[in-house]
Amino acid sequence: MICCKECLDLLADYLDGELDEKTNASLEEHFKDCPPCISFFNTYKSTTRLCRETLKETEIPDIVRIKLQEFLKENTRKKN
Amino acid sequence: MAFTQDKLEREEDEILVREFKEGNLEAYDKIVERYQKKIYSLSFNLCRNQMDAQDVTQEVLLTLFRKIETFQGKSAFSSWVYRITLNATYMRLRSKKKEPNVSIDDLMPSLNGAGYQQEKIQDWSEDTESLLFDNETRETIQKAVDQLPEKEKVVFILRDVEGLSTEKVSGILDLTIPAVKSRLHRARLFLRKKLSNYFEEFQFRREKK
Repeated sequence: MICCKECLDLLADYLDGELDEKTNASLEEHFKDCPPCISFFNTYKSTTRLCRETLKETEIPDIVRIKLQEFLKENTRKKN
Repeated sequence: MAFTQDKLEREEDEILVREFKEGNLEAYDKIVERYQKKIYSLSFNLCRNQMDAQDVTQEVLLTLFRKIETFQGKSAFSSWVYRITLNATYMRLRSKKKEPNVSIDDLMPSLNGAGYQQEKIQDWSEDTESLLFDNETRETIQKAVDQLPEKEKVVFILRDVEGLSTEKVSGILDLTIPAVKSRLHRARLFLRKKLSNYFEEFQFRREKK
């Protein structure tokens, strides 16, 4: 039976589905008896999702897009 | 699925690059259309400044135009673009005052001598849906990412935000796979801690009302 420390060290590989079958089973066995580790894992997983959903939405503002177009026109077309 | 998508995108990139090298400017326009948001977004998430991200995007797109001949195709074109973007962003950040690194220690729950947790951990993962589009939550998340030490931040953004594979990130940053994994884990632990503080305080405020 693995302890909490080992469980926490394995979280990244567990989340990414990279653990071998035996280690994966040991970790899930540990989760059954350890609500704090389940809470830790749930919040670890949510953290990644929340950050991705917040930062992934970064769009180029319209004003920047226009300036980029002008810049590229100026610098990549006039010489050709 | 992701692998097939990667392969498809890589093949499309290779065709565009070849056509552009042969002098087809429409191919360059397509490259710009495919990459300008990725370049801007990566740079903005690292420096959190619109003007700097705009300058970096201009610089990178111009580098692609002027130096396409130096791209030899040893790695994926996208990896090359990401590397140029990171270099241009870091050049800009270097000229500004550096924020002190926040210690990444003390991110784990307290464990007893046998390696078992001793404290109750609040599970706020179920409560985040309604908060996700709240401005305060978004600002907290952005601020937490900004506070990450640079080494962890770049790995986190490439891997978890941009969704690149561990192998690809390792190639772009010239790091070993275990180093990428270790930095990613530390970044996630750091951010989890920051968000835990925020959500716990949020719940406390709500219960007090």
